[in-house]
Amino acid sequence: MTAEAVAFVGVAVVLLGSSLAVVLTPNLFHSILYLAVALVATGVVFLLLDAPFLFGVQLLLYAGGVVTIVVFAIMLTERLVGRTIRQASRYLINGALLSVAVFAGVAGFLVQAPLAGARPGVSGDLTLAVGRALVGAFAVPLELLGVLLVIALLGALYFARSEP
Amino acid sequence: MSPLVYHALVGFVVLNAVIGMVTYVTLLERKFAARMQSRIGPYYVGWPHGWLQPIADALKLMMKEDIVPRAADRWVYNLAPLAFLVPCILVFATIPFAPGLGVADLNIGVLFFLAVSALEIVGLFMGGWGSNNKYALLSAMRAVNQIISYDLPFIFAALVPVVLAGSLQLSVIVEAQRAMYGAFVFYPVLGQLAFVAFLVATLAAENRVPFDILEAESELVAGFRVEYSGMKFALIQLGEYAHMIATSFLGALLFLGGWLGPGPAWMGPVWFLLKAVVVFLVVTWVRWSFVRIRVDQILAISWKLLLPATLVLLMATALVVALRSTGGA
Repeated sequence: MTAEAVAFVGVAVVLLGSSLAVVLTPNLFHSILYLAVALVATGVVFLLLDAPFLFGVQLLLYAGGVVTIVVFAIMLTERLVGRTIRQASRYLINGALLSVAVFAGVAGFLVQAPLAGARPGVSGDLTLAVGRALVGAFAVPLELLGVLLVIALLGALYFARSEP
Repeated sequence: MSPLVYHALVGFVVLNAVIGMVTYVTLLERKFAARMQSRIGPYYVGWPHGWLQPIADALKLMMKEDIVPRAADRWVYNLAPLAFLVPCILVFATIPFAPGLGVADLNIGVLFFLAVSALEIVGLFMGGWGSNNKYALLSAMRAVNQIISYDLPFIFAALVPVVLAGSLQLSVIVEAQRAMYGAFVFYPVLGQLAFVAFLVATLAAENRVPFDILEAESELVAGFRVEYSGMKFALIQLGEYAHMIATSFLGALLFLGGWLGPGPAWMGPVWFLLKAVVVFLVVTWVRWSFVRIRVDQILAISWKLLLPATLVLLMATALVVALRSTGGA
């Protein structure tokens, strides 16, 4: 096994373990901490795929930002209000069956697909290429995503307005 | 020497240099604050001028009893200082002290710095929550509040030099400042405004007065670290000061031209450290001159003033660069 494969197995174990812990821990706060671990591990997967820019963005937006906001939401609901919210994972068996089915489906596709060769090597500054692509070929999708986010923001504003 | 050993060695040296620097920056800050208040500061431990004081402090903290509150969330409480310290130290990995002198000059340098330092909040939060103490919890809440508000202006201000240099790599950004009399802060209008915004956001990101509501002594005792003692407390302090120094380094690299300066090449790191110390002292100067402002004022400054201002600044910079590259201006 190459060093890359060993690293991937290590990251995959951490990622799967922490993802399972997110849904199985009864303590909501611990669940968020495992989520942070899972998101950082996802970032490391990007790093293994020679995409350091995505690694940075993953850390900045998800591990840093989203976790902060989720934790913030818990703070407003749990200890400060005095009501403890436990996470109870009901329908465990159904959920497990569903995820096994999804895994089987994805694995089936992968087995049938022709075996890809070695990953093509990286040439040039990838960060520069990502930046050029975002304002070049992918400018329209990027703008559309921006519009989508603005709509989401307006929706949040609508729900958060004070009732007369 | 294999590259693995070499990198481990460089990392070890930088790590210890950072820890040594952090120890002595506390003395620098105490002396500076004392001078501002017409005092002498630490004087008796070590001659001259109490230079052994940081070492005495470190020894004292190592020998203190380690107390874990009975009601604490043990794992979270014990891991929090580490989760806080590691990102604060890790950001030094990408800081170049001179051309080719540093652990790793990543081509996503600035992004790496911002992303990793965003992780610090997780450790802070673990401490605030795990202590099971209402003061610590309130402090952690305020911290999240403040960091959500000031992360964006900080990033936007730091991106102005990135856009001007056209690269996220810190060494390239420094070299690009040669054309601008050796520092982006001399860039007409844009440079100065971005630097001021960067300094204000730095104050908030470092939780310093006037933005230190999360450890307001008069209301929250010591904030999120109120239950910590001994070496765990020392680790949190270490992380906080390491973050401060790292941000000063970033400011010196982005706006003040890093190692550029007159004199031979070996003077580079000296210039760099001097500039970083200047940034640190400006921040300290503000800290000891102003009073703490209220929570709502902190949020208003960020969302109503700093965020729109830095956004407009960033767009103006992009426009200037675009016009310049097409030869329109």
